[in-house]
Amino acid sequence: MALLEVHNIHTYYDHIHALKGISFELDRGEIVALIGANGAGKTTTLNTISGIRHPREGSIIFDGQPIHHLPAHEIVQLGIAQVPEGRKIFSRLTVMENLDMGAFTRRDRAAIQEDLERVFKLFPRLKERRNQLGGTLSGGEQQMLAIARALMARPRVLLLDEPSMGLAPILVESIFQTITEISQQGMTILLVEQNANMALSVAHRAYVLETGRIVLYGPAAEVRENPQVRAAYLGEA
Amino acid sequence: MGLRTGIRMGLIAAIVTIFLILIGVHMLMGRLLQSWFRVPAHWPGVWLMVVLLGMWAGSRAVGQMKARSWGNALLAGASAGIIQGALVGAALYLLASITQAGVDLRTWLNQMSKESIGALTLGFAPLPAAGFIGGVLLVSALAGAAWRERRLRVRAARLARGERMISLREHLLEIPAISQVSNNPLSRRVLIGVFMVLLLIAPFFLGQYWNYNLGTVGIYVILGLGLNIVVGMAGLLDLGYVAFFAVGAYTMALLTAPQPHHIQMSFWLALPIGIVLAAVAGILLGIPVLRMRGDYLAIVTLGFGEIIRILSKSDVLTGFTGGPRGVRNVGHPVLFGKDIGNEFYFFYFILIGVILAIIITRRLEHSRVGRAWRAMREDEKVSQAMGIYTLKYKLMAFAMGAALAGLSGAIFASRNSFTGPEDFVLLVSINVLALVIVGGMGSIPGVILGAFVLKGLPEMLRELEDYRVLVFGALLVVMMIVRPQGLWPASRVQLERPRPELAEEVEAPAELAEGEVGS
Ligand SMILES: Nc1ncnc2c1ncn2[C@@H]1O[C@H](COP(=O)(O)OP(=O)(O)OP(=O)(O)O)[C@@H](O)[C@H]1O
Ligand SMILES: [Mg+2]
Repeated sequence: MALLEVHNIHTYYDHIHALKGISFELDRGEIVALIGANGAGKTTTLNTISGIRHPREGSIIFDGQPIHHLPAHEIVQLGIAQVPEGRKIFSRLTVMENLDMGAFTRRDRAAIQEDLERVFKLFPRLKERRNQLGGTLSGGEQQMLAIARALMARPRVLLLDEPSMGLAPILVESIFQTITEISQQGMTILLVEQNANMALSVAHRAYVLETGRIVLYGPAAEVRENPQVRAAYLGEA
Repeated sequence: MGLRTGIRMGLIAAIVTIFLILIGVHMLMGRLLQSWFRVPAHWPGVWLMVVLLGMWAGSRAVGQMKARSWGNALLAGASAGIIQGALVGAALYLLASITQAGVDLRTWLNQMSKESIGALTLGFAPLPAAGFIGGVLLVSALAGAAWRERRLRVRAARLARGERMISLREHLLEIPAISQVSNNPLSRRVLIGVFMVLLLIAPFFLGQYWNYNLGTVGIYVILGLGLNIVVGMAGLLDLGYVAFFAVGAYTMALLTAPQPHHIQMSFWLALPIGIVLAAVAGILLGIPVLRMRGDYLAIVTLGFGEIIRILSKSDVLTGFTGGPRGVRNVGHPVLFGKDIGNEFYFFYFILIGVILAIIITRRLEHSRVGRAWRAMREDEKVSQAMGIYTLKYKLMAFAMGAALAGLSGAIFASRNSFTGPEDFVLLVSINVLALVIVGGMGSIPGVILGAFVLKGLPEMLRELEDYRVLVFGALLVVMMIVRPQGLWPASRVQLERPRPELAEEVEAPAELAEGEVGS
């Protein structure tokens, strides 16, 4: 049984039908990429999983338990952490305080301390800057902080929303390297990206989303070779 | 160049000074100082104003200079002082000569009495008097210029060393004696102890009038601390805060007064009931409205505040609330068989309330709840994604704030022996919000300072009669310009000012990404 199963979900913004019956699944330890153009519904999909929005139809099963009716804070507690689009860190809290907020639902102090060490090992830059205000970090550092903060919840599934957005190519590369590293430590990751090339190179499997529907899916390598994908998302004619 | 800014500033300062003299503000200053510090004459206040205006001219002239050097600064100060001194001196010469010739200037300028001009000539003939005021202005301008130049140099040196701008509090901490005290927990405690003792014995010396006024300030401190939890800590703009104050006051009044019900409960029992009912009202209002955001929340709470007031005065409810005429003979606290319901005892009682409110606020600030509030204030959606059940924490903020309002309302009603709808007008909410903002949102000392400024200062300005509101308004405007973060900003806010050394290494356009943030 997959760790996270999404069955035929329909999500609306009032009368806007943003997700028109999406189904997919994540197995333990996988990186699954969700790619698609602007407005395809990628962020909506993540928000529906994390409980910030609720589907009008369909179900989401996490580790055998339906979660689509649960509020966001309970879903975090169950072990799904989201790195929001546009690295929404708390810009007026320090790096440490941001990380602290990531662990808000946890009470196991010793384990939190452990995770903090682990996160700092992953992102040494954050350790140097732990007392700096989040908003004064550079774009790349903010993205690191957003990922680190999500890891502080010690999630079983990590939802990443466009981690490469607005970053210079070298930084994109280093962020994706870290994502692979996190995955190798056993994390299950759902990766939303516009940078399809990058996403498909690290992911195991991929789904292509177009105006609220999944139009294509398969192993990342196959999706990458698909002529339509090459034309639409990899910038090849 | 120093000369140019000096001349320009000298002209401006001269016009301002002459204008203030013509409308008699120097006499107001004289009267104020006389009444505040019990100085026997009004000349110290009058001349304090003259000196301050001179210093202002010199300091502003230096502040506007482009090239920084001591020579330039002195030139700016001197030219400003000479121009200001000469023009003001000439004006005084004219005024004094005319008065001496027996013309009563009050026909045209109703503040220009003989005494008013005499306060400036000090009984000298017009010419030496003009020379004297000119000299005083020149010396003051030079002093102001030197002071400003030194300050600018200190600040420039700091920035060069990569330190950030410092606040009033940090300025104070630089004074060795103060930093020693504040760094040493023992001496800090001693200081707080001394302060407490002073507060404890104060009512014996202050007399009825000031005990009452200080009590009012205290009631507003409690209200301010309560609203600070809601607005400053949790970031929820509540414009109907007075409603909870009203719930506390009416609970106290209706339960302890002989009319309109005959419950006549003890003050001590009614007090906790008032607090609890206010907190319950906070939650009941919160459940429907806290799903709204920002401005909607502000409008709905504002409406709620007015509804409570209108209900309390409605004819239908007169039998229950006492209607427009309010409730008389509200019960007093009785301790060991003694009625302790006068300003003197209430002073202590309110002091206890203030201390309680401070302790609660401090505890909350550093708790898990405080962290959740801070995160919600920053970004509600992301907080939810962090696993914060935002509605719950919002309700807690509302309930805590309301409970403190209930406490102060109950005390307020009992102290006045009366409560009525007109005690709970919108202006109260606005005043409390204003004191939180003026003091510094999220800062406990700020709120206390704010309450003193907004509720205490107007009392101190009572001498000014008609000018009171004008002067008070001008002071508030000046304060918000000089200290936009509030008089005593929270240390968190101070952290937020840009630090030059952090601006350096930006590797990716962070602002660009911020612009395209999705939902
Ligand atoms: N808060 C909202 N209110 C109304 N419509 C919305 C809202 N958020 C998203 N939508 C709409 O839902 C659709 C899917 O949006 P979504 O943000 O999920 O796209 P996306 O794939 O994440 O795009 P991008 O790559 O630009 O981030 C779009 O048509 C969008 O206009
Ligand atoms: Mg998106």
